[in-house]
Amino acid sequence: MSQPLKNEKERLEMAAEKLLSYAVKSGADLAEVCGSYGSRTKITLEKQDYHLASSDDGYSLGVRVLKGHRQGFASCNSTDPNELKEAAIKANEIAGFSPENPHYTIEKGDNTPIDSPTGLVDPALTDLSIQTQKDWTRLMVAEATKDKRFKLNEGSLEISTGLSLILNSLGTHQSEADTVASWSLMGMAAEGEMITSFDYFSEISRKAQSAPERIVQTSRKFVSEVINNLKMGKSESYKGLVIFTPRAVLDILVSSLSYHINGRVVAEKTGRWGLSDRDKQILNPKLTLIDNPWLIDRSGCSSFDREGTPTRPLPLIEMGVLKAFCLDHYAAHALELSSTGHAAGGPSTLPSVSSHTLCLAPGTTPKKSLYDEALKTQRSFLVVHRYSGQSDPVTGDFSGVAKGAEWWAGGEKQYYVQETLISGNLFEALGKDLLDVSKETKVIDSDEESPTLLINNISVTGG
Amino acid sequence: MKSISDLLEKILTQSPYWAEARYHRRNSQSLSVQKGLVKQAKSNLTSGVGIRVLVDGAWGFSSTSDLTPQALEKALKLAIDCAKSLSQLKKTQVKKLPATHLARGEFSIPGYESLKQMPFEQKLQAVLKAEEMTRNNSKLIHSSTCIYNEIFEDKVVVTTDGANASSKLARNEIKLGAIASKDGEMAESHESVGKTGSWECLFSQTSLNEMSDNAAKLAVDLLSAPKIPGGNATLILSPAMVGLLSHEAIGHTVEADFVLSGSVAKDKIGTQVASPLVTLCDSGTVSGKTHSGGELLVDDEGVLTQKTTIIKNGILNSYLHNRESAAIFGVEPTGNGRAWLYYDEPLIRMRNTYIEPGDQSLEEIIASTQDGYLVDCPLGGQADATGEFMFGAQKVTKIENGKLTKMYRGATISGQAFDVLSTVDAVSREFLLDLGSGYCGKGQPAKVDAGGPYVRCRATIGGVQE
Repeated sequence: MSQPLKNEKERLEMAAEKLLSYAVKSGADLAEVCGSYGSRTKITLEKQDYHLASSDDGYSLGVRVLKGHRQGFASCNSTDPNELKEAAIKANEIAGFSPENPHYTIEKGDNTPIDSPTGLVDPALTDLSIQTQKDWTRLMVAEATKDKRFKLNEGSLEISTGLSLILNSLGTHQSEADTVASWSLMGMAAEGEMITSFDYFSEISRKAQSAPERIVQTSRKFVSEVINNLKMGKSESYKGLVIFTPRAVLDILVSSLSYHINGRVVAEKTGRWGLSDRDKQILNPKLTLIDNPWLIDRSGCSSFDREGTPTRPLPLIEMGVLKAFCLDHYAAHALELSSTGHAAGGPSTLPSVSSHTLCLAPGTTPKKSLYDEALKTQRSFLVVHRYSGQSDPVTGDFSGVAKGAEWWAGGEKQYYVQETLISGNLFEALGKDLLDVSKETKVIDSDEESPTLLINNISVTGG
Repeated sequence: MKSISDLLEKILTQSPYWAEARYHRRNSQSLSVQKGLVKQAKSNLTSGVGIRVLVDGAWGFSSTSDLTPQALEKALKLAIDCAKSLSQLKKTQVKKLPATHLARGEFSIPGYESLKQMPFEQKLQAVLKAEEMTRNNSKLIHSSTCIYNEIFEDKVVVTTDGANASSKLARNEIKLGAIASKDGEMAESHESVGKTGSWECLFSQTSLNEMSDNAAKLAVDLLSAPKIPGGNATLILSPAMVGLLSHEAIGHTVEADFVLSGSVAKDKIGTQVASPLVTLCDSGTVSGKTHSGGELLVDDEGVLTQKTTIIKNGILNSYLHNRESAAIFGVEPTGNGRAWLYYDEPLIRMRNTYIEPGDQSLEEIIASTQDGYLVDCPLGGQADATGEFMFGAQKVTKIENGKLTKMYRGATISGQAFDVLSTVDAVSREFLLDLGSGYCGKGQPAKVDAGGPYVRCRATIGGVQE
């Protein structure tokens, strides 16, 4: 860790200790402080050109207090003792008038994570010069402006350094530093009267050495995919086979599925499954879902959660059998289990439950065979890449526009469709209607990972 | 606020370049109750100054939460260094910002003090009661939620070319949700309202009791509602749905930064893009609809907000501008430069976006519809630069031979916005701004409102295919 970062860490720790002490002195039985420091330099792009350069840094500190089973929370973005004191008093004041909730809890955590991820800080990134950042941005701009048909709406390249810290009055003390290079592009393609939909990608790298090459590769691929969408046409309406590529699987299906494996949802009995469903077949045997917080090239990588609980890779569904739910202390207390290290949030939010990096495991069928199977069964079908629509997590129903979707007919891809709606149900799509899973997987936006799925009984409404 | 504006003015005198300093203090408080349990009661305070400079045709920005003169001077220097560094890369220099009528003085919206003085505990009691009422409305209600959020904003914007505007406003919103279940079937509904002003402003249209009743009843009704058949259909869109269409599908395509990137509205000023019955506006304030969710008197560039007529009788009339895009297009800025927090730069954002009312009643429009649907209760939506949009709706009611008949479960509405607006053949007198609890996302969130009259048009409904 560089000396300036060590200094910031010291300042953050001192402020957090003060806040914790103020909270207890103001009447809390138990208190927990979540703090962060972040600095970033960012170059943004707009309208085919460089737009703005910025440089910021700042602190954020939040305190959660318990008075019996009454909870209060307040946060501020300052290390000033007066503001910290004010936040502590406010949190206690809120706890004072809040009704009791027996599941609120602050617990002593295990401060020694085992086998947790290392390598979240690359000194070459922490100390990156503005000149190198400009050079990397140039690489991205060169790719985005090579083909005049691609219209860059906005983009950015950011180098950020972060520190996060959790302390509580029972002795939990966790801290972690992280440096990330992140870049994104948003744009569309236009040729004559033809305009494609907006598309977007974002990626991260925690290694300075590999970042430039990845910036070029990912930008080039993105621009090429957007331009391909210029070949447009209409789809037919039908109910039947649809191929969901990894981004679509994650956006439409896994996002809703994550609601039902959220321990708080289970505790509140507003989801589909409960504790008695563990070790039961809930989805198609072709499906295995793991949450892995230890993949350092993913944005969700972390060694501890919002409550200071160490994280670990956790199989959630194995061959369609429900194995576990994601739990924070609240959900664990309500369900009489232990936290799985899934408390999410930051200094300005109360803990909630969220997965870190969901990975849907690969199948055994080559992706090409999924297409061959669809072509054999149906004379034409849709391949969905992106989605803009509604997914009702409670019922599992989804309905929305298939963006940049391919229309396949006569044994080959014909064109990209516009104004085509798809609808279906999550539990059927990942249950009886799931026909096959590709052996190839793809990581989307440096985060979650999925194979391609062939699914039956999806309603397609052509515009 | 006076001491802050003096301090910012003093700091900016040290800049040899055009500069803007924006102080922003935000105190936000949130309450969330589910099934009788408080899930969240919290207070957040964020404050600081963002400094933006224009040097050699390039923008630089820096921010700090430290309000000492030394920290502000450092932020100004960093912003200048950033801009100088970027100016070497830029292909096209940002033009000198045109002289315009910049705001000076106090621009506050009533309701701030009243909402601030109301105890947080009292708001929690109201939220607990509303959730309980929703839950106890029917034995079929399995779960219910009530969420309340309020934001108190204090701002000062100072620029080297003359703006010096202070403002205070409070935005609040309340959202009710209900989940009904029967025989393994589940249905969910939402009811919400958002305003700029006091607690009482929130309930000027519908009382909290009525809102909880509406949420519970809708969830129960949806339990037995079938799924809708997909296809192209005649639709009567409610004011909230019209608001979504105006904001998402038209509003974004006419934001000048999107236009410059090649949105579908590019080069269309002066051309017929909608039915002559359609006049669509974006405005900081709306006549007769005070305290709307997106109400704004001065933007974050120090420009007074105005009513911008985007489409006038079907003809595209204006884009939405900040100071930079106004310079490019050679027009006056429209007061649409908005930033979410002190460390965000102002972007072109909407405020209150709506279609002007017409002269028919809703009753007359329904009576003259042979076969169609009344679409209400939006569930959010998206659109892109092509004008292609997708909106969710919780409640869709069939119209047969001029009468409302059976209700369907939520559906998705899609189409190309300008094409859909060209099919408008009826516009109601009834007019509502009904999306004040919504946030617009464009890199940063923004509080906006939208609405309009009931509008009849044709679009695609995404439903089941047999």
